[in-house]
Amino acid sequence: MGKSIQRDQVTGHADEADGIEEYDNPLPDWWLGLFWFTIIFAIGYTLHYHFIAHRSPQKELAAELAAARVQWPEGVAGAAFVPTHELAEKGEAIFKTNCVPCHGEDLHGKIGPNLTDDVWIHGGRPDDIVRTITNGVQAKGMPTWGPILGPERVKEVAAYVISEHGK
Amino acid sequence: MPQTVETLAPARDAESLPPPPPVAPPVYDDAIVRLFFGATVLWAVVGMLAGATIALELAWWKANLGIPYLTFGRLRPLHTNAVIFAFAGNVCFTGIYYSLQRLLKVRMWSDTLSRFHFWGWQGIIVAAAITLPLGLTQSKEYAELIWPIDLAIAVVWVAFAANFFGTIAIRKVDHLYVAIWFYMSFVIAIPILHIVNNLAVPATMVRSYPVYAGMTDALVQWWYGHNAVGFFLTTPFLGLMYYFLPRAAERPVYSYRLSIVHFWSLVFLYIWVGPHHLLYSALPDWAQTLGMVFSLMLLAPSWGGMLNGLLTLRGAWDRVRTDPVLKFMVVAVSFYGMSTFEGPMMSIRAVNGLSHFTNWVIGHVHSGALGWVGMISFAVLYWLAPRLWDRPLARPGWATTHFWLATIGIVLYTVSMWAAGLTEGLTWRALDGAGQLKYASWVEIVAQLRPFYWLRFAGGTLYLLGAILMAVNFILTVRGARGGASAAPAKTAAEPALA
Repeated sequence: MGKSIQRDQVTGHADEADGIEEYDNPLPDWWLGLFWFTIIFAIGYTLHYHFIAHRSPQKELAAELAAARVQWPEGVAGAAFVPTHELAEKGEAIFKTNCVPCHGEDLHGKIGPNLTDDVWIHGGRPDDIVRTITNGVQAKGMPTWGPILGPERVKEVAAYVISEHGK
Repeated sequence: MPQTVETLAPARDAESLPPPPPVAPPVYDDAIVRLFFGATVLWAVVGMLAGATIALELAWWKANLGIPYLTFGRLRPLHTNAVIFAFAGNVCFTGIYYSLQRLLKVRMWSDTLSRFHFWGWQGIIVAAAITLPLGLTQSKEYAELIWPIDLAIAVVWVAFAANFFGTIAIRKVDHLYVAIWFYMSFVIAIPILHIVNNLAVPATMVRSYPVYAGMTDALVQWWYGHNAVGFFLTTPFLGLMYYFLPRAAERPVYSYRLSIVHFWSLVFLYIWVGPHHLLYSALPDWAQTLGMVFSLMLLAPSWGGMLNGLLTLRGAWDRVRTDPVLKFMVVAVSFYGMSTFEGPMMSIRAVNGLSHFTNWVIGHVHSGALGWVGMISFAVLYWLAPRLWDRPLARPGWATTHFWLATIGIVLYTVSMWAAGLTEGLTWRALDGAGQLKYASWVEIVAQLRPFYWLRFAGGTLYLLGAILMAVNFILTVRGARGGASAAPAKTAAEPALA
């Protein structure tokens, strides 16, 4: 397949191909180069991934999680929830948007229970309230707010509920 | 223009050549070609109508009218089966029955098997069109049909294969033209893929359990699934390209050498790439790597086909401006090149992490399906119609209109799905300042996609309208007067009608 091959020479099969002629042109250089490049890349990638860098999807996940723990040390699993006025202020708007239809504008309860009295059906500690909001109460029709609001906004709305206690 | 071209007689139809004295002029079975042609056009409209319907349902779910048989989950497999196995399948058979006889200078080995193949295949499609809306499915993508239909497919395909190889066995030429190699890979690979993937233990007439479980089942499914793309939607269509493109362009194929190298590298590499559908899954890492690197190596062999198609048009580009058949072919081959570049890129682990499960995949599939398979099919049909019925196309101008409707439709489709796919891929993984999911509500992300879904529906509808225009054009052609010198058997009259 060198350059010596003459261009646009027909193979002479046309009478056996319903009149279709075929040139016997060489493979385009850049095409051949592309093919070799992908073959070499394939071999190199495989060797590097499995035998040199010893990579795997599991390690990729572990590295991502490790980086996340460094970047957001408090955000990952198990940090105790401390309600603050700052959080409560942010939570008010979230409550108004999502919770009022069932728990009422004044939190005194409609379809859902009163949130201002001392009766805590699913536990009254800050973490309990966060958990109830996050997981919902399927049997009573309380939605699973965790995936909808995200953990931060769940904490904000919980802080708001706590701030309204006794009002 | 090279000297050698001058030696080519223009429009060397086998029929127009004086037959060599010792051999009787071959009498080809064109009736079977006309049957498959008609079925192709019918199923094209049906399959694309189903596609446009489910596109509408994604944008506006009430389009299912509350009727269970019309819900997305049931119509989607009907759409895929109709466009792949009914439309694309029948157009392959149309092109193969027409070209195989002429390339081998012999009538099909058995007319009975030809008819059995035709009616059997249409029966299978009708059975699919009944069972899928009823919700009868194996739940394997592109292999949804229940086991009795799967058995019927195997039987009909074996009949087709026997007829195909029987015809090769009795051929009047020594040389097998490149199109036939591609047809062969189709005829051989499809039953292997179909039978292995559908191995199941029947429980009732409509229910069965696959012999594979878990990850093995997934791997076999995608080995089948991606090779359905390779050996049902790629190799037979490359075969059609190798026959019909040089015929329509009246130009020699650019490189015989390239056709050999890209054929063997294509069929060797394709069979390994299925695991790229299972990246970041429980599939062993080495198998995932295999799927990825073989997909990358598939780029050049795929482009070999595109190059041989485009370079064959050297010296015929002036006719691309006027001839709708060549227009369809140029866009088809270009989309083939584009989607076979996109595919290897999407198989790269990092890219796949972004693209997998998003509408990007749908866009990718349709740039291949609408762009490559659809457009080359339309080209073949428009080239064949005047020749099969020996009369000019009734509305040559409509063919150009069809071309523009289809091209604009594809662009709307792919661009909207790229945008939708990137939106999904990026919002799914986006984190807020606290390291939490920024878009924790799935519904919120889905709602963002609705404008893209409407745009895709618009694109699909344009494509469907083009196909309907084509169907009406063919009906008018078949009912119209015979063209030119109707007394002469020479079919040269058809060519200028399209120009």
